[in-house]
Amino acid sequence: MKRASKIITMKRTVFSEHQVTNLSNSFGHLKLLKRVTYLFIASLLLASCSSDDDNNVVEPLGDYENGILITNEGPFGTGSGTVSFISDDYTINDDKIFNDVNGTDLGNIVQSMGFSEDNAYVIANNSHKIEVVNRYTFETITTIEGLNNPRYFVAIGTNGYVTNWGDPFDETDDFVAVIDLANNTITSKLSVSFGPEKIMESRGNIYVAHKGGFSQNNIVTVINAESNTVVSTIEVGDVPNSMVTSEGDLWVLCEGNPNWAISESNGRLVKIDVDTNEVVQAFDFELIEHPINLTIDGTNLIYGLDGAVFSKDTASTSLPTSSIINGFFYSLTANNGMLYTTDAGDFASNGTLKVYDLVSNAEVQSMEVGIIPGGVYFND
Amino acid sequence: MKYIILIISSVLLLCATPLYAQLDSIQKLEEVILNDVKLNEYAEGYKLIKISDTIIERDSKSLTDALRFNSTIYFKENGYGMVSSPSFRGTNAQQTAVIWNGISINSNLTGQTDFNTISPSSFTDITIRNGGGGTQYGSGAVGGSIHLNNEISFKKKESNDLRLLYGSFSTLEGSFKTTQSKENMYFDLGIDFVSSENDYEYLGTDKKNENGEFSRFNVAANTGYKFKKSTLTWNSNYFYSDRNFSGSITAPAKDNYKDVSTRNLVSWNAKTGKFTSIVKGAHLFERYQYFPDKNKTLFFEGKSNTILGDYQLDYLLNNKIKVSTVLNYTYIKAEGDNIGTNDRNTIAAVLLLKHQINEKWSYGVNLRQEFLNDFENPFLFAVDGKYNASSWYILKGNASKNYRVPTFNDLYWVAGGNEDLNPETSYQAELGNEFHWNNFQILFNGFYIHSKDLIKWQPGEDGQFSPVNISETENYGLEFTGIYSKNFKKHQVDISGNYAYTSAIDKEKDKQLIYVPFHKITGLLNYSIKQFSAYYQILYNGEVFTTTDNSNTLESYSVSNLGLNYKIKNKLSPIKLGIKINNIFDIYYENVAYRPMPNRNYQLFLNFKF
Repeated sequence: MKRASKIITMKRTVFSEHQVTNLSNSFGHLKLLKRVTYLFIASLLLASCSSDDDNNVVEPLGDYENGILITNEGPFGTGSGTVSFISDDYTINDDKIFNDVNGTDLGNIVQSMGFSEDNAYVIANNSHKIEVVNRYTFETITTIEGLNNPRYFVAIGTNGYVTNWGDPFDETDDFVAVIDLANNTITSKLSVSFGPEKIMESRGNIYVAHKGGFSQNNIVTVINAESNTVVSTIEVGDVPNSMVTSEGDLWVLCEGNPNWAISESNGRLVKIDVDTNEVVQAFDFELIEHPINLTIDGTNLIYGLDGAVFSKDTASTSLPTSSIINGFFYSLTANNGMLYTTDAGDFASNGTLKVYDLVSNAEVQSMEVGIIPGGVYFND
Repeated sequence: MKYIILIISSVLLLCATPLYAQLDSIQKLEEVILNDVKLNEYAEGYKLIKISDTIIERDSKSLTDALRFNSTIYFKENGYGMVSSPSFRGTNAQQTAVIWNGISINSNLTGQTDFNTISPSSFTDITIRNGGGGTQYGSGAVGGSIHLNNEISFKKKESNDLRLLYGSFSTLEGSFKTTQSKENMYFDLGIDFVSSENDYEYLGTDKKNENGEFSRFNVAANTGYKFKKSTLTWNSNYFYSDRNFSGSITAPAKDNYKDVSTRNLVSWNAKTGKFTSIVKGAHLFERYQYFPDKNKTLFFEGKSNTILGDYQLDYLLNNKIKVSTVLNYTYIKAEGDNIGTNDRNTIAAVLLLKHQINEKWSYGVNLRQEFLNDFENPFLFAVDGKYNASSWYILKGNASKNYRVPTFNDLYWVAGGNEDLNPETSYQAELGNEFHWNNFQILFNGFYIHSKDLIKWQPGEDGQFSPVNISETENYGLEFTGIYSKNFKKHQVDISGNYAYTSAIDKEKDKQLIYVPFHKITGLLNYSIKQFSAYYQILYNGEVFTTTDNSNTLESYSVSNLGLNYKIKNKLSPIKLGIKINNIFDIYYENVAYRPMPNRNYQLFLNFKF
């Protein structure tokens, strides 16, 4: 069975601690960083206490504020995926927080999660639904049904967009569902080319990478988020599996057709100018190279290839030849100078979250998470 | 007491079959032909458990149920009636051989037999052979083997059996079998079908078992002719099943699966002096079609044809030593949407020896070497022995090396198949104790199995799943079987039970394998008075792990069934009618995580003989 590789392009949200971490990140040394962060937070808290006349401490938004959320697909076949929470200081590690809070299972194959304001949209792919929860308390709000093999979610304004494979063996029924976030109902389904996977927003447009489901596709669909219509399709490379945005550019990583496809093709890294929606730059990998899991740290594009992690500056004119980290990872997510990787092990037992410092490229944390951890998100 | 051990008189119970007469009697042309001759002749040191007709009658619609409630074998069933995989002594389904009239019928594609694609009522003899049987039966007989036999009997007989069953969830079953035989001719024809909506509710939820309906159709015909010094037999079986695959608590389903298999075996058996020759030719066909969406026409298909020729020469050296040599040629051609078209040739040479030293001691030695096919086939051996210590105690033991060849899926699956795979190999040893007192029989066995180079599909550096010879397991355990039977006046009481302790360790992780319970218990209580009988079945299935790091578990459960039968005596056409209540306590249980099993349900049946 063909498996879809996973990464989640993180959604940046700006909160105070976020900036604190940004600041302290320049130290580039974790222990020091942590200490400074604590001091900083502590001083902020103290400051807020002392400045509040009626001694109200800022109420936390929920148990799962200030930490990392991980979607774990769960076992193949039957069962339920889970969401793990790991606190920013790595002292708390709760697996299956949705079950803990709501007493029920999330659903089969928890593929990914998206956010809008205080809500998290957790996609249970093989249960064909989205569980809407408060992202800080994880209390359930509602369930969105009527989807068909949903994959990824992105929100822009009052709408959410969800890629759907439909019947994975039918290449004509794939769609992007538009969800009215005010009442969490599906308002329309935009028919798109087959195998829509990752979805991102940039400057008012929605970009959908068509990885191709069980087969292979090679385009990015552009949807205007005002009119909710497909405005163009951009041919990129074969099997676009991940995307990031950087300074008005959309970078798309294509893994190429696999060696068991009718004709194997090389991987390709493509830069799209989001103002013109045209490919402005492309870097070809070798024929047998099939890169995955594009993520971005500052101006460094980071991806996985053949059991190693590579980093390329957006400005550099060639692909890197040496890797920064060794290891095969199920997902890569860069955030504030750190690389959050997941390892699904044998796919039939609990996986691992490993965190690397992107200055030293050294592993700084390793935590056990759920079964087949596929997505890392930051709940700050 | 000569060489006859005590056999429990009642057919209502599990019967141990190690019947053994003096060797010279074996050489006579038998009244009853069993094409699986090795099963009884070369298994002195093995535990054989015969599944009686009565057991099959209680669970005629499912071989899984019949074995689950009456043996130590554990079954992993993907929802009731769905794919059912046995685990024999902690090994997996691919390490459990199913032998049809002496021929292995495990799928060339998946390597296993789905026990819900066997129609139990079409066989006259079902025997469980515990322990390795690779030397005799080839690939896959690691944990043990299940033998499905159609006996051909040259005794004057004419019988017709008709069975009708109706049960909960719109379950309908019917079977008809006619047997006609005389001194030199035998013929039987059996037809049976089962269909079920199988839409049981998931207890404690508002959901029910969606997409679980199944139907099955089986025809079997067996023919035999007895000439002066030889016999000719033909066994034939056609099976068709059409199942939707059940959803689970967390995921709906809409897929469908269709199986077809045909099996034909012609066997000629001739005796000249001290020599007996057996010549066999067989053809096996299997095909599956998987429909991802039952409402659409798209499907994926795989099929295989097997042609097999076999020559066995038995030589009776004297009345204490018997030697058999077997030369077997097998040609397999498999094709499918995911595996292309590939074939395999195998020649196997087997040497079997049995020596009855004296009344107390006997032993056997079996050797097997295969040639031609693309693997490095290991040389296989087995030794077994038996010691009749006293009139009430028998000690048995065996040790063997066994193997399993990679399946066509393992080798050629797109994407991931690995043509460099080698067979899995395993060493094992077993010690068995049999105690027989008047109404008691106790079997107590301990086993050890060490398997290596086990084929496991795992992700490579590029994320692609591919099979490799990597795993190593160590299984050990104890099996206990107790049988008690008592007749007084018009009353008959039968009690039997099985207990198995199974440790099956993945050596790499040092963890128990998933879906292997440490503990399994079965129990049966039967009471009969005149034409009336009542029975109670219980199964306790211990907790199993569902993840390889043993972090997740599936709870233990016990489920009970109750049955009542009544015989209407009538010389010409006796009728038996009965009711069976499954899961009488209406408990919620899962056999595979997130796949609930049926709540309390009923079935009514009528049997006519004429």
